[in-house]
Amino acid sequence: MKRALAGVCVAVLLAVVASGQTAKSAQPLPGLDATVTKVEHAASASLRDCPPGTNTVNAVTRPGETFALVTVQFKVSPAFKASPMKRPTVTDAADKKYNTASTFVDVGSVPEYSCTFPFRVPEGTRLKALQLESSSLDLSALDK
Amino acid sequence: MEVDRRAFIASLGGVAAVNLMDHEAKAEALEHYMEDKLDEMVAAQQPEKFPTVAEIEAQITTRPFRRGAGSVFTGQRGENVKLIEPMPAKPTLNDFFRLRFAPANHVLQSATRAMKTGMSEEIILACLLHDCVLSLIKPDHGWWGAQLFEPYIPEKSAFAIRYHQTLRFYADDDAGYEYPDQYYRIFGHDYQPPQYIADTYKMLKNHKWYMEPRLVTVNDLYAFDPNAKVSIEPFQDIIGRHFKQPKEGLGYDNSPSAHMWRTLARPDNPL
Repeated sequence: MKRALAGVCVAVLLAVVASGQTAKSAQPLPGLDATVTKVEHAASASLRDCPPGTNTVNAVTRPGETFALVTVQFKVSPAFKASPMKRPTVTDAADKKYNTASTFVDVGSVPEYSCTFPFRVPEGTRLKALQLESSSLDLSALDK
Repeated sequence: MEVDRRAFIASLGGVAAVNLMDHEAKAEALEHYMEDKLDEMVAAQQPEKFPTVAEIEAQITTRPFRRGAGSVFTGQRGENVKLIEPMPAKPTLNDFFRLRFAPANHVLQSATRAMKTGMSEEIILACLLHDCVLSLIKPDHGWWGAQLFEPYIPEKSAFAIRYHQTLRFYADDDAGYEYPDQYYRIFGHDYQPPQYIADTYKMLKNHKWYMEPRLVTVNDLYAFDPNAKVSIEPFQDIIGRHFKQPKEGLGYDNSPSAHMWRTLARPDNPL
């Protein structure tokens, strides 16, 4: 009885953790796993390449704008074949598309890394999805 | 303060560039590097306040040189200039990279990035050459740069060099180009490009080659990977295919820009 109860508790705990875990994953290209880990908003942003180097180009917002910063964790497996990747895009609730100035450079050069892509959006915009190649990752739970 | 040795060496243009420096120059470079890093750390603690155009203009009379002077004519950080190595009798583009444009980190990094992101050879060449003329002169560097290289490179590359200066002032969301905050620092946050730049932009927007200079601006980074070893070697094939090296040497082929190369070769000539 105790064991069954413990099992139920673990299951409930796992379900709670799972429901709170809003990151979404996809495989935009064979051998490349991407997981969105964070969405933030800021007045300025670094336009680092992905994987990140120390590109020191930054951009600042104009009045009425904000940068939506979408952080994505990438894992590269041996199956990944190096090829140029398009810059990601995001869409808001009305399906309006926004671009980023951050660029993929040498995607397979390191096995694991995190990139933050800045998107210039009107203040108050909430993001719905991130488009990485043909994959779409849900952002709505992360951008509150 | 910890110094990232690799980043420091990369900031000077790599091991080869460091090997050409004497002990005094190395010590000086390290000091400047640490000063810059300290400034960055302090700046990171607080939101940056960009200067106004008026504040930048107020600095003009605080310098012994004008901001537009090419780097071969001014000492670093207000110090005296150093002796420079004479050019060979028949200098090549490689000779100018080694002896007058060095360390050329910025253009080498831009071209490296252009190569890695699959740009055309004309664009890679434009990225490699786009700011070299800053050794000679800085205002209107797009036009001066295009003029310097025009007799020797493809028309598209010259077009890209000439007009990247203009497009730097105008963001292009679709192309992935943001107005850089560095421009708020160097021109002032309330700066408005002059009318000839606005007119040039208007012309470019409808030009079939708009993307040539735009792609130079997209790859026009101040720096990226500090551990990247950049050199001109990966571009030798592109230079070989697209740069028409005159047999008399740059400066002695009677081209429309030969005098500009000679000025770069002999910046200490009084007349």
